[in-house]
Amino acid sequence: MLREVAGVVLRRLAGAIPVMLVVSIVVFVVLRLLPADPIGMMLPPNATAEDAAALRAAFGLDQSIARQFVIWLAHAARGDLGVSIHFHVPVTRLIAAALPATIELSAAALLLALAIGLPGGLALYAVRSRQARLAASLFVVTLLSVPSFLWALLLLLLFGVTFPVLPFTGRVSGGVALPGWTGFALVDTLAAGQLGAFADALAHLLLPALALALAFAPLIMRVLRSSLLEAATEDYVMTARLRGVSEARILLRHMLKNAALPTLTLIGVQFGFLFGGTLLVELIYSFPGLGNLMVQAVRDHDLPLLQGVAVVFCIAVLLANTLVDALYVVINPRLRSVR
Amino acid sequence: MNDMSPALWLSRGTALAQFRAASDSREVRIGAVIVGAVALIAVLAPWIAPNDPQNQDLLSTLLPPAWSSGGDARYPLGTDSLGRCVLSRTLFGARIALTVALCAAVGAAVAGSVLALIAGYAGGRVDWLVSRAVDAWMAFPPVVLSLLLMVGLGTGVFNVVLSIVLVDWTRFCRVVRAEVLVVRRRDYVAAARLLGFTHFQIVLREVLPAVVPLIITLVSLEMGIAVIVEATLSFVGLSVPASAVAWGMMIADARSTMHEAVWGMAAPVLAIFITVMGFNVLGDGLRQSTDPRLRNVRA
Repeated sequence: MLREVAGVVLRRLAGAIPVMLVVSIVVFVVLRLLPADPIGMMLPPNATAEDAAALRAAFGLDQSIARQFVIWLAHAARGDLGVSIHFHVPVTRLIAAALPATIELSAAALLLALAIGLPGGLALYAVRSRQARLAASLFVVTLLSVPSFLWALLLLLLFGVTFPVLPFTGRVSGGVALPGWTGFALVDTLAAGQLGAFADALAHLLLPALALALAFAPLIMRVLRSSLLEAATEDYVMTARLRGVSEARILLRHMLKNAALPTLTLIGVQFGFLFGGTLLVELIYSFPGLGNLMVQAVRDHDLPLLQGVAVVFCIAVLLANTLVDALYVVINPRLRSVR
Repeated sequence: MNDMSPALWLSRGTALAQFRAASDSREVRIGAVIVGAVALIAVLAPWIAPNDPQNQDLLSTLLPPAWSSGGDARYPLGTDSLGRCVLSRTLFGARIALTVALCAAVGAAVAGSVLALIAGYAGGRVDWLVSRAVDAWMAFPPVVLSLLLMVGLGTGVFNVVLSIVLVDWTRFCRVVRAEVLVVRRRDYVAAARLLGFTHFQIVLREVLPAVVPLIITLVSLEMGIAVIVEATLSFVGLSVPASAVAWGMMIADARSTMHEAVWGMAAPVLAIFITVMGFNVLGDGLRQSTDPRLRNVRA
């Protein structure tokens, strides 16, 4: 099995290389349409045209777009994404500082979404009467109509402002220092044995993660319900029933296993949706992750940073897709040793 | 597909039967009523709004709704931090939201479906190229790509529409292409070819009608997505200029004063939610009543 998993991972990663190339060309070309001049904002008011030209040359902005892209790609391949125009530090350093926060947030959101979505899907499947089915599907559609940034605002208003029970700015309270080994607040505080700081980081994670999870969970509910409905018509269900296996056991041991696959596919396909959702949720909760960094870069017209962050977002999505494909092989025996 | 009964096959073939089934669906009716109401509000906004949405009454800023203590009857839902009428702004906000939703969804549908028809029908290298483009686009979280595009294109209603089209054409392309692959193997397509139809005629008269119900369903769902994307972009300040009224902008304004005035956010949040729900209920109902596989599951 390990060999098959490794094969799938390698094939997916090899396929991801041309995709990344196209993605970076798209990012590059789109950002060169920019009407605003990033250089203009950096110059003092009394700067001359020569000063502007010198600065432009220093950032390589006087070259043709194709040439700029080749230079950027050659550096990117060596792990150098350039220097931020606004912060004057390497883009990779800014991203490395922000990425763990976003990964931690999306992982927590995914766990919460599963914790809400799986029981929710089972409950929806259990609904049988025609009336109740209409109500159930209206309920799911209603949930689907609230995007994560609205959940973020609603939760903030409810548990942050109206009933101030949870913190809603940053990753930890002011004064709490993170050990900063891996960059993952929960891991670092636990490893350092700082239980107080761990609880603090967890409390800060709760509202933003919940906002993302509440937007993602109805998707899981819906796909789980429909795959369970489909599984119910399969022969093995009837066979198990004839053998006298209890309904609960059929559902939990047999059908759920088969329904898990479409659910996993959904998580893979929709991961970008969850991951992209972190952008606004981070902004709303002042959570110092990749999304906040990107909005900052947008506001400063910081091209190198914007390019770097956008590309890293895409790499993360492609890696997540690869991981889901590998899990697929692990869970589905039919995909193993078919060749 | 091949295990369908002949009757079901025929009913799938005629778009008329599908829309008859759709109008019987309670979900479709509920969705249509909600969407219709929002559209009516958008059209009638100048006549039903109590105030000019841009008019600043700096003597009465952050007023609570009229029914609570300290409220003013002139401003039924209160005022924002610049003393602008929240109700009027919410009503006018429907105009931008629906304009963007309609144009962006139709634009994405046309772009995505045309590519899907060409790719799915032609197959071979064209199909490969389109499919790889879709793969690359799918690697972008949608928000990230639309933010990038707005930075590149600059703000304005037209650019919001354009950026949504450029992000979401893949939603149509992926699904419609899969359906075209099924349809082009049908007997009537082969028959049309034997009769000497040109490829263009076959695509337009035999393949396209078979995928139109699917496209309409996707358009309805896409309109809901477009409302959310527009609200997201105007929340970040990258959508329409400040002279226009957009729900996302109202939320961003209200957020800066949420500690003094919690209610300011309620109206635009509710407006977005109701509009998106209308499109989603409508789209979901259309999907269930036009997809024979789902119809079987429900029966």
